[in-house]
Amino acid sequence: MNTLVSVYREREQTILGGGFILLLILAWEFIPSLVSLPRGLSLFFTTPLTVVQTFYQLVVENKIQSHFYISAIEFAVGLAMAIAVGLPLGLVMGRSRTVDGMLDPFVTAFNATPRLIFLPLFILWLGIGIWSKIVIVFIGALFPLLINTYEGVKNVDRVLVNVVRSFGANEWQVMKVVVLPNSVPYIIVGLRLAIGRALLGVVVGEFFGASKGLGFMIASAATNYKADVVFVGVAIFMGLALLLTLPVKKIESKLTRWRPEAAKTF
Amino acid sequence: MGFKEKYYEYQRPILGMVSVVGLVILWELVFTYLIPLNPFFFTKPSLIAVAFREQIFGGSLWSDLVISSKAFIWGFSLAIIVGIPIGAVMGWRRRVEYTLDPFLTALYASPLVALAPLLIVVLGVGLVPKVFLVFLLAVFPFIFNTAAGVRATDRLLINVVRSFGGREKDLYLKVIFPSTLPYIVAGARIAIGRGIVGILVGEFYAASEGIGFAISRFGDTYMLPEMFSAILVLMIVAVALTEGLRKLEVVLAPWRVGQEAR
Amino acid sequence: MVPCIQAKDITLTFKPKNRDPVAALKSLTLDVSQGEFVSIVGPSGCGKSTFLNILLGLLKPDTGEMRLNGKQITGPGQERAMVFQEFGLLPWRTVLANIELGLELKGIQPSVRRERAMELIKMAGLIGFENHYPHELSGGMKQRVGLARALATDPEVLLMDEPFAALDAQTRDLMQAELLQIWDRAKKTVIFVTHSIEEAAYLSDRVVVISARPGRTKDIIKIHLPRPRDYEMRLSPEFNEIKAGIWSTLKEELITKRAGDGV
Repeated sequence: MNTLVSVYREREQTILGGGFILLLILAWEFIPSLVSLPRGLSLFFTTPLTVVQTFYQLVVENKIQSHFYISAIEFAVGLAMAIAVGLPLGLVMGRSRTVDGMLDPFVTAFNATPRLIFLPLFILWLGIGIWSKIVIVFIGALFPLLINTYEGVKNVDRVLVNVVRSFGANEWQVMKVVVLPNSVPYIIVGLRLAIGRALLGVVVGEFFGASKGLGFMIASAATNYKADVVFVGVAIFMGLALLLTLPVKKIESKLTRWRPEAAKTF
Repeated sequence: MGFKEKYYEYQRPILGMVSVVGLVILWELVFTYLIPLNPFFFTKPSLIAVAFREQIFGGSLWSDLVISSKAFIWGFSLAIIVGIPIGAVMGWRRRVEYTLDPFLTALYASPLVALAPLLIVVLGVGLVPKVFLVFLLAVFPFIFNTAAGVRATDRLLINVVRSFGGREKDLYLKVIFPSTLPYIVAGARIAIGRGIVGILVGEFYAASEGIGFAISRFGDTYMLPEMFSAILVLMIVAVALTEGLRKLEVVLAPWRVGQEAR
Repeated sequence: MVPCIQAKDITLTFKPKNRDPVAALKSLTLDVSQGEFVSIVGPSGCGKSTFLNILLGLLKPDTGEMRLNGKQITGPGQERAMVFQEFGLLPWRTVLANIELGLELKGIQPSVRRERAMELIKMAGLIGFENHYPHELSGGMKQRVGLARALATDPEVLLMDEPFAALDAQTRDLMQAELLQIWDRAKKTVIFVTHSIEEAAYLSDRVVVISARPGRTKDIIKIHLPRPRDYEMRLSPEFNEIKAGIWSTLKEELITKRAGDGV
């Protein structure tokens, strides 16, 4: 009995958290069979087991793979572009007051507005192929990366910079030796946020004006009352979100131990 | 030299204004004199300004804004009413946090908007699905930020108030609440963006009114200046709300300097 | 006459989750008379702050009794007030509102509170800063607010947990002198925890040396210097002798602690 108690105490966090999720899944599975749903709702309802079965079916029948690849490409390319633009720009903005001042209103304005608002515009410009989605992913992921890099650079300790300067370092060396290492925790946080935004961009981008991709799959399944397919899509995105952000979170917690302010963003 | 000092003090806003005004002027000049303007593809500031005035006073832009705002306010208020208490309990009781946190984090990490088509099919078109969507998206920042704020309450201050004879209710009113308030406001700031996404998704997908619908309709009919002006309106609203909350955060918590990246 | 404070056989062990229990105090016994200024010194971790917290009523000892004027202490009370090392000012309240905190919690009317708080502002040398916020003040000023706040409810006993440790040396000297003036006028019983032998000897009537963890009373040294005390006394040979006496007792405990830590 005592060992049970001590095991519980050690793993209390996981037991409570995991147990709750398990409970919800079980409830979802069994309650519909116990309670009869109003006629309308049952048309759109589904249960975890059905979702799993549908998923298996879709994979076996090779119906889901092409959607997945398209979404994956949109995600990867958009995110890569965001990193390629966001990091250097954040560095420059952080170091140069002039550039910061000039770009600040735009960054503030575009950061406050949901990037989704430009989707009709991008569809108008780029059609319903993958490029309109890539651009949505790009600007969605850009801002967390840009802003967090900027904050990381700006928050570098003046004292440290002066120390390095006193050894005769030029701007480039200051960057390399002090600014960049200092910024890494911030950048990692930005990356985590960017991944979430990028996934969101893929989903939402594919809802409107798309013919392929997981988001499209979800949207068309919804209109055809195939709730199970919808949940397959949602579950895949949820899984991807966790899969991609968990390792980043691990790295982040290691790095923010000495820079706790970096992790304050959401 | 008075001028130079003034410049350094106001450097940021001056540069900001210069670049915005400069961009607008450049944009107008380029498309008036340099590059021929394809009206099905792009537009320029003068046309946007005209469309803006037309739509606000003559067209439906104003009423669209009101409609979208109604749904937004309803959903946002629900998010506050539900999110803050849950967050508070989570922050105060470790066990509740352990139980709910993984589930909520999974929900927060997953693109909940993916459920939007299903919601619309179930709940129909109109106010209800939009409100639900806004709520679903905006509730999480309130939950997480309130929990973080409660958790971050300085234990020393709790001891101080207790040592002067404060009871449970005094602890809540005089320490926990004021200490958590800046966090809640920060959560509100994040929730605004997410809530607007909810409105847009709801209205892009299946709506007949609202500003999101207006934008997509203008896009479908290649009315570019109108589209840009609708986008501009929403941008102004979003920035006003977000920056307003940011200022509120500073007012409420002047001792927390330089935190929270945007 | 019943001593103001009677601590008898106080024992307390901390039992944190998932970690080994920590014996903080073991059979600590101490009496303090009304109006006395007593300092408590001891190696780090010997339980000085724990002792203060028991006196304050925020912690309960496992065994033993803590009495105030003969009555057992069961919780915080208006007769005791603490000044904290990290100040503990509510950052969202002005200086004035912070000072009023104890009075507010007692349900005293705003106008009466205001009057009393202004008295203390004058006494603590904070005139002009009533509407400032803690983050706008220096360390020394923050601690003045802490002191004013503690005195606002007119407690019998003033508990001070290394109140000047976070201040620079000059401010510290200044605050010590001011504290003595206030104490002399207000005639309170003061229990003052510090790491500084100099500070303890300068301020107190008696200095209590606590042993290394778990803490008990190791030695009590009476300070025979006349009052009022002034700065020059710190330079006198008698003062040095007193310090040496305290130091020799303390040294043993520091060595014991080091040995205990090194295991």
